[in-house]
Amino acid sequence: MEDAGVSLDIAASALSKTRMLGAETAEVFLSSTKELNIEVRNCRVETLKRAEDRGLGIRVMEGGRVGFSFTSDLTPAGLEEAARQSLANCARTAPDPFQQLPESGAVYPCLDLYDPRICQAKVEEKINLAIAMEEAARAYDSRVKIIENAFYQDGETLVAVVNTAGMAVHYRGAFCGISLALVAGEGEESQTGFAFDFRLKYEELDPESIGREAASRAVRMLGARPVATRQAAVVLEPYVAGGFLGLLGPALTGEAVQKGRSLFAGKVGSQVAARDVTVIDDGTLPGGIASAPFDGEGVPTSRTVLVNEGFLQGFLHNTYTAAKDGMSSTGNGVRSSFKGTPEVGATNFFIQPGLPSPEELIKEVGTGLYVTDVLGMHTANPISGDFSLGVAGLWIENGEFTHPVRGVAIAGNIVDLLMAVDGVGNDLKFYGGKGAPTLRLTGLTISGQ
Amino acid sequence: MVDKQLLKEVLAEALAGGGDFADIFIEEKRNTAIGCEAGKIERVHTGVDIGAGLRVLLGDVTAYAHTNDLSRNGLLEAAGIVARAARGGKKDINLDLQLIKPVVDFKFRDRPGDISTERKVSLVEAADRAARVLDKDRVKQVIVGYGDVTQNVIIANSKGDYVEDERIHTRLLVQAVAASGSTIQTGYEAVGGLCGFELFEKFPAEAVAAAAARRAVEMLAARPAPAGKMPVVMAGEAGGTMVHEACGHGLEADLAQKGLSVYAGKKGQVVASEEISVVDDVTMDGRYGSYRFDDEGVTARPVELIKKGVLSDFLYDRLTAVKDGRESNGHGRRQSFRYKPVPRMGNTYIAPGKTDPVKIIRETREGLLVKKMGGGQVNTTTGDFVFDVAEGYLIKDGEIGPMVRGATLTGNGPEVLRMVDLVGSDLGFTIGTCGKDGQGVPVSDAQPTISIKQLIVGGTGRQEGPDPKIRRL
Repeated sequence: MEDAGVSLDIAASALSKTRMLGAETAEVFLSSTKELNIEVRNCRVETLKRAEDRGLGIRVMEGGRVGFSFTSDLTPAGLEEAARQSLANCARTAPDPFQQLPESGAVYPCLDLYDPRICQAKVEEKINLAIAMEEAARAYDSRVKIIENAFYQDGETLVAVVNTAGMAVHYRGAFCGISLALVAGEGEESQTGFAFDFRLKYEELDPESIGREAASRAVRMLGARPVATRQAAVVLEPYVAGGFLGLLGPALTGEAVQKGRSLFAGKVGSQVAARDVTVIDDGTLPGGIASAPFDGEGVPTSRTVLVNEGFLQGFLHNTYTAAKDGMSSTGNGVRSSFKGTPEVGATNFFIQPGLPSPEELIKEVGTGLYVTDVLGMHTANPISGDFSLGVAGLWIENGEFTHPVRGVAIAGNIVDLLMAVDGVGNDLKFYGGKGAPTLRLTGLTISGQ
Repeated sequence: MVDKQLLKEVLAEALAGGGDFADIFIEEKRNTAIGCEAGKIERVHTGVDIGAGLRVLLGDVTAYAHTNDLSRNGLLEAAGIVARAARGGKKDINLDLQLIKPVVDFKFRDRPGDISTERKVSLVEAADRAARVLDKDRVKQVIVGYGDVTQNVIIANSKGDYVEDERIHTRLLVQAVAASGSTIQTGYEAVGGLCGFELFEKFPAEAVAAAAARRAVEMLAARPAPAGKMPVVMAGEAGGTMVHEACGHGLEADLAQKGLSVYAGKKGQVVASEEISVVDDVTMDGRYGSYRFDDEGVTARPVELIKKGVLSDFLYDRLTAVKDGRESNGHGRRQSFRYKPVPRMGNTYIAPGKTDPVKIIRETREGLLVKKMGGGQVNTTTGDFVFDVAEGYLIKDGEIGPMVRGATLTGNGPEVLRMVDLVGSDLGFTIGTCGKDGQGVPVSDAQPTISIKQLIVGGTGRQEGPDPKIRRL
């Protein structure tokens, strides 16, 4: 990766141009990334992609008005246009007294985010990781028929934030990950399976276990059939529980509360989930894929307990929403990329694990559905919390799996779902920045035949 | 952006290590996004995104690199990266670079770059007011999003093709939140097209906003949707999410070739009821999924996918076309220079039939009428799909009954297409951003009014009759 100095100089130059055009309060966010993507199929490289991406976003604040403009044209003319445009956009927005930049001089957490092994390892070695994953899947069961794709990817990033309040910070990070999607078949029937893992440490990637996991997800679904419409217990696999947690995320932001879009508005201190449920956001989590010393506006990240043993503790904030509520930012001003402004968002966001193993949770179920796959999570309504989803999984009778199930639907509201939790497993697993253990719920309507 | 001579050098460098084909996709994208919430203009964002994506194909192997650096050095460096990744035999290369002319043309009248930010802001404010005024007491929140994108591309390849194209997309989204007592409901409406600001002559912003607000307010009185299997009528105005999910994705050639589609290997076979013909036509004027050239520089054309129930074609890009020993039919699309092209839909629709839509509802004894579809998802391997009903009503004895909320329809693509018994003479389009392999592209889809013998409705409500144990959680 190129010297950080070049990028920092560009950020500083963009800030000084914006200042020269008349801005008193301004900020520049710059990111520079280098990525490698390898796609393998049938033990051969199908796509090898190398990418470099650099760009910056300029945020200007004048009299409470905010203007924003981004560019990936980092020539002097490109920076000039972005600076000019951010000021022009500023004139068109409504003033808001709580718009402000964070102060400089904060103390940042020390995090281990850059594993040099990731960029040192040879491309051939990385290709072999993807092949090993594929081979492990095929060895798991002869019914694994098609490898949809086996990916290895890594990237290194430089992030810098400079502002007119004297802030000038940057950090370097790297990540790596593997993923596998495949199809198992028997007769006319096909079922899909996938698994993925993203890490900050190269040596932690385990292609064999990802290969076996993807294969088992597909193979165990062969022979799936619908069940009759009924009320039954539901056990959510960590991946599915994490999906529901994602639906909850927006409602736990100060932004949603202030805009009347949160189910949890006005409920701090009251019970919003079963006593077993504790929800945490932690931007400083060791090894967390979303960990960073500071957020998208340069505020130190932190650990925030949002729901403690079922009781709502508070919300996530960026500098703006915190100012509006008379609080401090929790370091959750998250940017999707240099093309966006810092919005309130989660970092490493997870449900704290409980004591029982997933096997123990399932053993206690008389009749129920172990949900392993969900269709349509993105159609759920994050404002009302209502969801109605296609689901697939394994049927449970007397604590044992009897047969796979597909083509059924479950519906309800996320708040009712959280209150219905009657068991939290000890198997916290992260899928990217979101993590959850196995969750068991009492009766839910399963719509089927 | 970049001159032809340099492009020739870059393509030659990309093929220095060998390869069957090389292409370069250079892009300059300017966009404006305006957001209004709580009656305030919260954001006016603009941006410029530039870059180039370079590709070499060698057999079925793709080497890809992209960069923001459009200088001579930047492009040659990216070419060097793909050249090192793809080594092997070399086929006939032609770097003559002849300009390809489009076979269909679109005129952009009111270019976003020529419309003042002030005028765009006024439009957003007018939409906000129109949604609120519809029901001052119950419309509690309105979110309006305006966006325009002007994308200029240059595509050149080692077959000697050279394409310059401009695409302008304009859209408006309105979400309204209505509340009454402790019930909160939302309504959503979106319009968009391959066009400039003239979009709003056809679809006035106020009308879009009023439609979203009306839906939110009416949903307050809706009862929970029933759960279980029942006949479903989809109104023409409901949009085409069903055809997009139930068959569109499965007809993308990459998925079919990998054996990841229930439609794989079924060309010439009956895959739907005889009433069903499915077309993807990107040459339609002004539609959100239209284009003159795809992102590989292939000229646009309509593609008939299913003809009277028989599978007639798949959607191809260059790579999948070579595998099947044929020509691309112009469906290689990408989100930006950061991605390699893959087969994608454009404007997908079920061709209208002959039945009067009113008659279709009248002939339904009992079932669910879908008047507006929401988002959806499909597992192409099994064909299982799901989509959200944004506005639905119960049908009883041929009459439209009470509104229901919270319904999701679950089904299997080929099974559902076989169960279509009536196809109406109307056709209604909706727009969306379709996601695949992490890439989003603008699409539209449409269906006439159709009736399906039975689909699983995943509601929470009590179904009249059989199972008294079902209750809301």
